Amino acid sequence: MGPKNIFIAIVAVIAIGTGAWFSSRLLLPPPALQTATVLPAPGELPEFSLLDHNGQAIGRDVFDGHWSLVFFGFTRCPDICPLTLQVLSNANMQLADKGQKPLPRIVLVSVDPERDTPEIMQQYVAYFGDDILGVTGELEELRKLTRGLGIFFEKAVLDGDNYSINHSAVVLVINPDGRLHALFGAPHLAENYVHDLPLIMARR
Amino acid sequence: MRFVLTVILTAMLSACLAERAPLVATDIVVPKPRPGTQMTAGYLTLRNNTTQTITITQVSSPEFESVEMHESVLEDGVARMRPLRDLTIRAGQSVQLEPGGKHLMLTRPVGEIEATTLEFYNSEAVMLTVNVTLTD
Repeated sequence: MGPKNIFIAIVAVIAIGTGAWFSSRLLLPPPALQTATVLPAPGELPEFSLLDHNGQAIGRDVFDGHWSLVFFGFTRCPDICPLTLQVLSNANMQLADKGQKPLPRIVLVSVDPERDTPEIMQQYVAYFGDDILGVTGELEELRKLTRGLGIFFEKAVLDGDNYSINHSAVVLVINPDGRLHALFGAPHLAENYVHDLPLIMARR
Repeated sequence: MRFVLTVILTAMLSACLAERAPLVATDIVVPKPRPGTQMTAGYLTLRNNTTQTITITQVSSPEFESVEMHESVLEDGVARMRPLRDLTIRAGQSVQLEPGGKHLMLTRPVGEIEATTLEFYNSEAVMLTVNVTLTD
């Protein structure tokens, strides 16, 4: 085989290899989600009137225009709630490091509106990040939102006047159209969010 | 040289003493109460070095109005907090108090505190006292 033939052979191998690589990319199924469940059809949110952590009235249009990660908890929850907010905050930091844009906004909806005033929510959410939205307000209005989203919560008396609150531990993903798009079940791990969120946000 | 020997011997001695203590706490983490709240959680590992079961019936701290033993449980997607009446550590075994599981709930600190002391009681007396610097 002369040098010319060798050259042709190398070009042919490269061409076939490149073609095979591209076609395999095209035929491969999209990467699977690790833990999140995407709803077959994004669900409409119920109407509600609550307060943000600045005391401003908000309704369901507060979710319009950006991706949100919504968790239901309360500030006097010592373990699960700070743990979950820390996970979501860490996930966002890791996503930012990977160049993910836009980042979802973390939202904490209080299921203890009796004790969680907007002032308390403001101090609390600021601890976990700069752009976290705290939501509280009237119990009846809160119930409109939780009922519409399938979120459960109930008081659990500890002793005397003291109570804790049992609550759904799920994290809801709301899309920029203000519709329920996906959910992450507990227990929550930052790595699952870092893996799944870019896929969820890109596929839409 | 003598200094080095002294250091090594002191280290060995304290290691032995720690080993012999009936109840030993390690990996202690107590975050500062988050802004807006009057409470925090306590996490640690308790090791029972004796040949008998140790039952912790109460935990207290001079810096917190109340300390309760709790367990977070996840049932059908619902997070619940269960008060624990006591904490049993079998002979030669360890029990972990960790995020998302068994933990201490410390409420109403006396003020802006940087450190605290935790006292673990069995039904008769203080079994263990640990000093903790609160984390940010």
